[in-house]
Formats: sequence, structure tokens, C-alpha cells
Amino acid sequence: MNELSRRNVLQTMAGVTAGLAMPAILTRSAKAAGTVKLGCLFSSSGTMANLEGRLNFVAKMAADEINAKGGVLGKTIEIVTADPASDWPLYAQIGRQMLQQEKVAALFGCWTSVSRKSVLPVVEQANGLLFYPLHFEGDENSKNVVYVNSPPASSVIPAVDYLMSSEGVSAKRFFMLGSDYVWPRTINKQLKAYWKSKGIPETAMREEYVPLGFSNFQTLVNQIRKFADEPGGQPVVVLTTVGSSIPDFFREFINQGIKATDVPVLGLDVVEADLEGLDTKPLIGHLTCWAYLQGTKGPANAKFLKDWATYVTSKKVPFKPDVAIDPMVSTYDAINLWALAAAKAGSFDVPEVQKAFAGISFDCPSGYKISMTSENNYVARGVFIGSVNEKQGFDIIWQSKDTPKPVPFSPFG
Amino acid sequence: MWSRLLAAVALFCLVGAQSSAAQQPLDRPTLLRQLCGEAPEVLAGAQSTAELAATAGEADLDWMQAVLFALVDRRLSCGDDAVTLRLPAGTIVNASTLAPATESASGRTPILNLRSRGVVEPILAALNLLVGKDANVKLEALRAVEKKPQPTLLAIVERALKIERDPQVKGAIQSATETLALRSPDPEKQKIAIRRLSEEPSTRSLTLLLNLRSEPAYNANAGYKAALDGAISSIERWLAFSNVLATIYNGMSLASILFMAAVGLAIIFGLMGVINLAQGELLMIGAYVTFLVQEAFRAVLPGLLDWYLIAAIPIVFTVTATIGMALESSLIRHFYSRPLMSLLATWAVSLFLVNLVRVTFGTQNLQFVVPFYLKGGITVVGDFIITWNRLFAIGFALLTLGGTYYILRRTTLGLNMRAVTLNRTMAGCIGIKTRQIDRLAFALGSGLAGLAGLALCPIYNVNPQMGTLFIIDSFMIVVLGGVGTLVGTLVAAIGVGQINVLIEPAYGAVAAKVIVLLMIILFLQWRPEGLFAVKGRRK
Repeated sequence: MNELSRRNVLQTMAGVTAGLAMPAILTRSAKAAGTVKLGCLFSSSGTMANLEGRLNFVAKMAADEINAKGGVLGKTIEIVTADPASDWPLYAQIGRQMLQQEKVAALFGCWTSVSRKSVLPVVEQANGLLFYPLHFEGDENSKNVVYVNSPPASSVIPAVDYLMSSEGVSAKRFFMLGSDYVWPRTINKQLKAYWKSKGIPETAMREEYVPLGFSNFQTLVNQIRKFADEPGGQPVVVLTTVGSSIPDFFREFINQGIKATDVPVLGLDVVEADLEGLDTKPLIGHLTCWAYLQGTKGPANAKFLKDWATYVTSKKVPFKPDVAIDPMVSTYDAINLWALAAAKAGSFDVPEVQKAFAGISFDCPSGYKISMTSENNYVARGVFIGSVNEKQGFDIIWQSKDTPKPVPFSPFG
Repeated sequence: MWSRLLAAVALFCLVGAQSSAAQQPLDRPTLLRQLCGEAPEVLAGAQSTAELAATAGEADLDWMQAVLFALVDRRLSCGDDAVTLRLPAGTIVNASTLAPATESASGRTPILNLRSRGVVEPILAALNLLVGKDANVKLEALRAVEKKPQPTLLAIVERALKIERDPQVKGAIQSATETLALRSPDPEKQKIAIRRLSEEPSTRSLTLLLNLRSEPAYNANAGYKAALDGAISSIERWLAFSNVLATIYNGMSLASILFMAAVGLAIIFGLMGVINLAQGELLMIGAYVTFLVQEAFRAVLPGLLDWYLIAAIPIVFTVTATIGMALESSLIRHFYSRPLMSLLATWAVSLFLVNLVRVTFGTQNLQFVVPFYLKGGITVVGDFIITWNRLFAIGFALLTLGGTYYILRRTTLGLNMRAVTLNRTMAGCIGIKTRQIDRLAFALGSGLAGLAGLALCPIYNVNPQMGTLFIIDSFMIVVLGGVGTLVGTLVAAIGVGQINVLIEPAYGAVAAKVIVLLMIILFLQWRPEGLFAVKGRRK
């Protein structure tokens, strides 16, 4: 056997480590004249990799589309990506690097609210722009963040109303199960106040939290079963766990034999990608609410889905060509909204672009015309309620007539 | 003249309507149109099906069952010109006549919302009770009807009782009708229902019975009061008992997972003192090999697909053991004298393996076929459900324990391994090839990690990151149990599992994790060598 010398091993290890660290280093491309840079803060490793990873590619696809039409103000868009590795403080660090060294015109990124909260001081200090593509807990209105997706008043509350209506299941009792961080805690706080205003007693609500990445849901599903059998009316579960905790929860839910007609689950962070790897037949009927669902009809959506499928196959993107999730569409919208605002402002300077937001609108693949006003940095989006089907996707069972006006600060805080 | 004629026509119509009401002909096209419509129409259609089912002829019953089944299963296709359905076998038939047809181009599949589903599924179950071909299908249908008792379904259940021939099913239907009489105005019938419910203790039965305390008969009728109170306290006792069982089962299930993840490490860390941070990734590779075996079965032996999990056991062990051996001889053996370096090296290996799998397979969760023997669970008593996938993990952990114990205690390899653990130099002096033993021990530990990955496939997500979930817990168990002892690992796993499950319902999952970690820290302060220390000369 060939004996390796210590130096050899050290060299190999250094090589391996450098190779592994590569994704963390900003992937720069040659700085061509006449380009404007946009930065993406989406992880391609760690717990969020499977969800956030695909958003990098959507951003590139949107940029390619705009570039094909001549770019913005005569310049072509160049997307700068990095890997914050699902490590929340790293989002802030890479965000600062992008703003200061790469001089990106705007940042697009973050999935969890905790990562957004960590980037927030960076964009405020540098007076940058962050486009945030996820629906979230609201209660925040920074002039440096564009909230592309909906606050609870135009996503969670309509879904809860639907469940409480006779058209839904006339829900009377609520089991809130979430991962232990800011988004689930704030959402549940608002929901509790909302239910209280509707005359639901405190005894009809249960609130449980699990650590991020938690997987052993046996005891909790036992508790849900017990809660469901107690008197007081139709129970529902409001699920705000994130990442890998979602499929783990559903797997245990199926195995303990609970069906959606017994206890429906409203999964607030459940997207099609979370159902990959699950047999969704026993899950049919569970609900989710987003500002876009893949099943929506219309030419804008057909075009988006076709473009994505073509992009995935032609660029060998490591994600499914036939799965589109809300944050993908929101990222796509975000790039387009920025391009519209910059074109309207006639400048890439953040203060100019900020001023141009008022009054711009864009035909979102969801079929709604999404728009911004001068009141705040929120984007008015439509509302969809989807029901899990056997094909690891969602059927649309309800959607709003138009785009409700976003309410940043919940009156139920 | 005209008025008389009109009257005659009206009379004729009336007679016609009456006679049709008496024969109850099933207006199939209208019903299908309703089922294809919006949610309120679907509800109306389903309700009229339920009402008709109590008297309809057998051909109509079969038809109703086929159509509702197709509706629930989304095999119905509503076109402008014709409604078709796809039979479970795959052939497309006209939904009205069940004659072969082609699907309409404008066909769309109606989507049931939760409310309609909640109504349609029990009606379908009631129809299955009438026309089902198999006793098990009927019993399952009966349970579904019992769970959501609707007034219109009672007539169907009564009809089923009349025509049922199988004595077992008939008995079950009999007792179900007695239970369903809980809301009947007759206190005697109610008493029978109360007794039936107390024989099936569950929180649901308890809730039903507690509601009865507001009935007037409760205060008026002493016998009724005694029966109800007796039933309630009996259910409460059973529930307390079932809760204890459920806690023990949950604890054992978590313990089995912890034990399997830790046992390979117990050997590697215990025997050789190598802090193997790549242990979690070996577990992950075990799960991926299981996936590949499944895919191979799907391609070559689709008929035996359900048994891939069993067939994968030797393959997973061999593959991960080989990887472990290769890892040991190429990398780790160079660092035996430098534990810090071996820690860094194994960490690099772990990162390398995660990224390798990520690049090859992608980041998504893998889809596993859940074999029929691991689907769902069985209610044992009260609210205590044994889920097959967790029972599989517990059984698998016991087998792993037995196998590892056998190797360590009854084979020459085990004897040599224990000798090397106790005193490496002395073992070398008496002729044991310590290097070779190291390699085999590392292979064994890696193989065991791979097997843990296999057993976790039906329980947890399988993705490149899954290994990192287990590495901290595994070290915790090994250190707590005492480095190098199998019994220690076992006791520590059971202890941590049970304590976790006991704390969780009371203080929540987050607090449970914190409390368990604090307890372990305090325990190690008091007894740094862990629960069971190997007696030997200090190195």
C-alpha cells in the first residue's frame, strides 16, 4: 500500500477544504461594460437548499428575459449569486459584501424571516434595496425592503376565514404547531388575537413549538389526535413548521391514520417541493395559502411554466422542470418590478428607484396585475387557497377576486 | 271543455309523478350533472344518493358506488357532451351506462373541497358496506360510517344489516347500529349504546358520553346515571392506561432511533478513540443505497417491490462497511496518534460526502415506496396506536443489538476487538494484528451506521443533510453511556428517549431538548466516564 506522507495529506486536505469552501465565495463573472449587477441571497446548501436553491435560477431566468428585450436603461442585468449556507448571520455578511464590493443595485433574497431580520440592518445602513419574496408575519415596514409577497392580512387571515366559514369546515378549535422562531411566533400571536376578536375562547387554542430541523413528531401528533377528539367543534391544525420538519410531520400524521376530513392542516409554509418524496394520497384535502399556485389558469402562467421548463432543460438546472412554487414566481416578479422601477426612474440609484415604486404594476404569472403604491413598500398580490392532491401538488379551491390592499401592521398584534 | 282537458292532463301528470316516486328510478344524468357542478350541487347530489341508496336496486347501488368512488379518487371526467370515468383497472367508460367510451376533449375532473369530501366519503363508505365484495372492505367502511354518523346513513346501515350474510360483518353492523343509537330518544337503547362505547375506550367515546350528562334522563333516571357515570370512569381508567403505554412506546421508538444512530459510533469511538464526524454521512449513504436498491427492484423485480427494504439489509451493510474500510485504510489510520487531526479529517470527509450526494442526487427528499407492512398502524387500546414503521425501527434496533452483541462477545473478532480496546499495546504483544482489527472495527461501525440509515427510511426524510441531524445525538448517547460499552449505549438511548418523551407533552419540544442536554451535562460532571465505564488500565 502506498504510504501517504504527512505533507501529501495536508495538501490534499487543503485542496478538499478549498474545494468545499468554493460555493461560499462569490461567483463573479468578468465585469463587462454596460452591465448592472443584482445580488441573490439564496442558500444552495444547508437545510434551506432544496427550497432556496431554485430561486437563484429563477432570478437568472428573469434577468435573461429582460436582457433579451434589451435590458434596463440600455444595460444588461448580471445576476451575482452566493451561498449563505442556511446560516442566518452569513446572509448579512454576504449581503454587505455584495452591496459594498460588488456594488449591486439591489438584493433579492432570504426565505426565513430570521434571515431577513439579519440582513435588514445591513440594507438600512448602506441604504440598499432588498426584495423579499416570501409571505411573512408583517409588522415591519422598512423603506429599504420591498415586500413582494403578502403580509398575514392578505394571506393567512383569508385562509383562516375560509376554514371557519361553512364553505370550509366551520372550524372551531385550533392547534398551532410551529418551528420556534420569529415567523411562527408572530403569526400565531396575531391569529390568537384574531380568533379572540371572533369570540373563540382561549381553551379552544393550543400552541406548540419545535426546534428548527425537528423531526420526531410522534408525541405531538398524539397530542393533536387527543385535541381533535375533545369536545368543542371541528379542530384544525395551523402548521408553521419550516424546512424538513414539514414532510416529517406529514409522514407521522399519515401513519397515525388522521385524514384531512378529520383534522385539516393549514400548512402556511408548505409548497409543492415539500411534498416531493411523500405519498400524498393520504394527504388529499390539506390546505395551504399562497399568492401563486401552479394550477392557476391563464396565459401568463402557461408562459412562465413553459419558460421555466425550457430553462431547466437547456441550462441543466438541478431542479424539477414541472414544479413551480410561489417564491419562484415572487422572485420572478421582484426582478421585473425592479426593472420597471429603474426604467421609470431613469437611474439605478436606490433613492430614485424607491421614488419610482409608486404606481408600477406587473402582470404576474398568477394571473393578477400586481402593483405598488406610494404608501409603503408592499406589493398587492392575489390570494389562493390550495388543497393537496394526489400528484404532490395543489388544487385551487378558492381565490380572491382581485388583489387586496396589503396591510403591513396587523391590528391583531 | 278546455278546462276539463287541462285537468285531465294535470291528473295524468300527477299519477305519472306518483308512480315514478314509488319506483324510485335513478336519474343518472341529473345526478352526474350535480356531481360535476359547484360545491353546493355536489353536496346536494351526494345527499340524494345517500337517500336513494336505502331503497335503490342492486344495479343502481353498484353504479352509485362506482361513481362516488371515481369522484373521490378523481377518476371522473366531466365533459360538455358526456361524463366519463376511469375504472380502477384503467379502462374509460361512460359514467351513465358504464359502457366503454372515450374521454371527452372538454373533460375536467371535479375537485372536492373539504366540506364535500367530509360528506361524500362517509356516503361512499356506507355504499361500500352495501355492495362491498370483501369482509375487510366492509368492516373498514363500517368504521368510517361510525366515525361520522349522519342521519341519512342510518337507513343504509339498517339495510346493510338486513342483507348481510357474513356473520362476522353482521355482528359488527349490529353492534354499530346499537352504538349509533346513542342519540335515540329511548333511554334503554341509549344505555346499550353507552355500554358499547365503554367497551371501545377512546377520547372520542369519552367526549360523546360527557355530552350525554346534559340529557334530561341523566338527572331523572338513576339507572341511566349509574350506567353513564360507570362508563365514563371506566373509559377514563383505560385512557390513563393507554397513555402510559403510548408514552413507553414513543420513548422506545425514539430510543431505537438514537441507539441505531449511536451503535456504530460506540464501536468506532469506543474502540479506536476516533472522533468520526462522518458517521452521520455513513448513515445517509445507507439510506441512499436503500433507495438505489428500491430503484433496482422497481426496474428488475417490480412484483417484489414491497420487499426491497428487507433485501437491502445485506447490500447496505456491505456497501457502507466497504466505504468505511476504504476510509480507514486511506485516511483515518494516518491520524490515530493525532485525535485533533482525525476530527478535522472526518469532518472534511463528511462535507465531501454531503456535497458529493448533493451533486449526484440533488437536494430534494427521496421518495420511498412505503411497503404494505409498514403502512399506517393499529389501535391497541384507547388512544394508543402502534405505527408499523416505528415498530419496524424498534425491531430492527433489537436485531442490531443482538447481532452486535453476538459479534463482540461470541466471535474471535469480537474478542480481539475487546482486547484492543482494553490495552492496545498488550494486545499487540500477544499477537493480535491491531491494525487489522482497527480496520474491521471501523468497517463494522460504518456498516451499522448504514443499517441505521436503512431503518430510518420509512420514518424520516432522506436528503443529503439528514446525517447532520444525528451526529450530535449519537455522540451524546455514546459519551453518556460510557465509551466503548454496548450496554451503556443501549441504556443511554432508552434513558434519553424516555425522558424526552416524558418532558415533551408537559413543557414542549424545545424545552425538552434543553432539559435533556442540561441533565446530561450535570450527569457527566458527576460521572465523567459515563453510565458504564470499561474497567481497564488508564491510557
